[in-house]
Amino acid sequence: MTVYEPIGPDAASGHRFDQARRWSAWLDLRFAQRPSGRGPVTRLVRNAHEGPLRVQRPFHPEGPNGCCHVYLLHPPGGLVSGDALTFNTSVGAGAHGLVTTPAAAKLYHADSHDVAWAQHARLQVEAGGTLEWLPQETLAFDGSRGTQSTTIDLEAGARCLGWEMLALGRPASELPFVSGRLEQSFRLTRAGRPLWIERQTLDPNHRRFQGYWGQGGATVQGTLWAVGLDDEEAAIEALRAELAPSPRWAVTRRQGVLLLRHLGADRNEAWDQCERAWSILRPRLAGVPAQRPRIWNT
Amino acid sequence: MPTTMDTTMPTDATASPMSDLSLLGLIQLISPALPIGAFAWSQGLESALELGWVSNEAEIGEWLSGVLEDGLTRCELPVLARLQRAWGEDDAQAVAHWNDWLHAVRETRELSEEDSHLGSALVRLLRQLALMPPESMLPERPGYVTMFAWAAHLRGVPERQAMVGFSWAWLENQLAAACKALPLGHTAAQRVIETVRPELVGAVDTALTLEDEELGPILPGVALASAQHETQYSRLFRS
Repeated sequence: MTVYEPIGPDAASGHRFDQARRWSAWLDLRFAQRPSGRGPVTRLVRNAHEGPLRVQRPFHPEGPNGCCHVYLLHPPGGLVSGDALTFNTSVGAGAHGLVTTPAAAKLYHADSHDVAWAQHARLQVEAGGTLEWLPQETLAFDGSRGTQSTTIDLEAGARCLGWEMLALGRPASELPFVSGRLEQSFRLTRAGRPLWIERQTLDPNHRRFQGYWGQGGATVQGTLWAVGLDDEEAAIEALRAELAPSPRWAVTRRQGVLLLRHLGADRNEAWDQCERAWSILRPRLAGVPAQRPRIWNT
Repeated sequence: MPTTMDTTMPTDATASPMSDLSLLGLIQLISPALPIGAFAWSQGLESALELGWVSNEAEIGEWLSGVLEDGLTRCELPVLARLQRAWGEDDAQAVAHWNDWLHAVRETRELSEEDSHLGSALVRLLRQLALMPPESMLPERPGYVTMFAWAAHLRGVPERQAMVGFSWAWLENQLAAACKALPLGHTAAQRVIETVRPELVGAVDTALTLEDEELGPILPGVALASAQHETQYSRLFRS
């Protein structure tokens, strides 16, 4: 069973307006360690794409032997019905990559045919590799319909930290999320064995949207994961000591996966919490201090 | 056996008749007296009380009804049926697959440990009673649902009744937790049972229709409450 459906270059594409409509774009990245005169360097050794999805030139803001940063660009800036984006990112042994985006991704109202969009991220990390997957949040407009999946396949000894943040509706414009349906799913395996499987169905007309066992009326949610920490318990204690207690977030660990969840109503609160958690976890996971990607300031 | 000729009676394997011995086997398996320590966990409920999400009889009923629909119906019940089938077919690979799957969907340490502890406790008990499956069939870290499915299979309990019994044990256990922690009166707990009892049957009906790719609990609030429970200052239940 897999939620990830590869959408390759031969996927159907074109100007159709029925349920089979699919305007696909994909991006295939690979970070690998390469020797150089000044020691090993992480390079972006594969950068293939189709459709309006690409990366800016990779750079090394943490020094030539440090983490390789990459910004994913999707010039349309949002997803409409029929769009299907696939991000494949792999990291080889010894390499360290960080992927983020320059802005929030927007999910627009479904068209009159109610066609869904899809966004799939597939992350693979080999033993001794490190991947940080830190996209900016996804903003779901009222009436958007679609599926977002994150599939993470790790070898034993791989390190991965990432998050997905989702904000429903546009509170500033008083346009709440009152219709539509989003499916968000996560599937993480290590050495082929599933360690974390989760799905969220966001349907504002289902009772779980308000029910406390479910969404509890929360319009902003964040999920952060980290795998490969040497001392998970100490990391959790550090998070609990440094992030203010609140009924809107909690951290736990199970099966070697640390999970921080946020359920609230304020995008900035969720973002700050995840960013602070990242800055606490990064030195413990990757042995280097957090260096805020400059693109987050713009 | 149904004596009626009513053709709407279900005739699938899940509705096969149960012998008296099988019925007793099921009652034994779901009894609160079964020495596996099922009473020690609250599955996020104690935390939901602390957070003020659930504070009276009506709210307990809503919480349980919601967890039943978005949790058990999509997770434990359909997987119990798959596991019982797998045990019946000596399919060690399928047993291991669904056992791994259940571990992977446990949202928090509390929920994961509950499943592992109860599974180990049931293994110990079955071993002492010489009722264990062959070692070659046993998955790594067998969880509670996995061993419950084995015991149900061993006792000849039909799939459907095993699911009904499992959901009953869950309901009783949650209400026992509510009586201790809320507190909820024992008569009030029985009133909640009267409301939720038909929903257990509906949950089993739905669970039996779900395909593999439809499975997976959708309980973000329970996950948050259960993780909060790990740091709750004063608590009656394990975390």
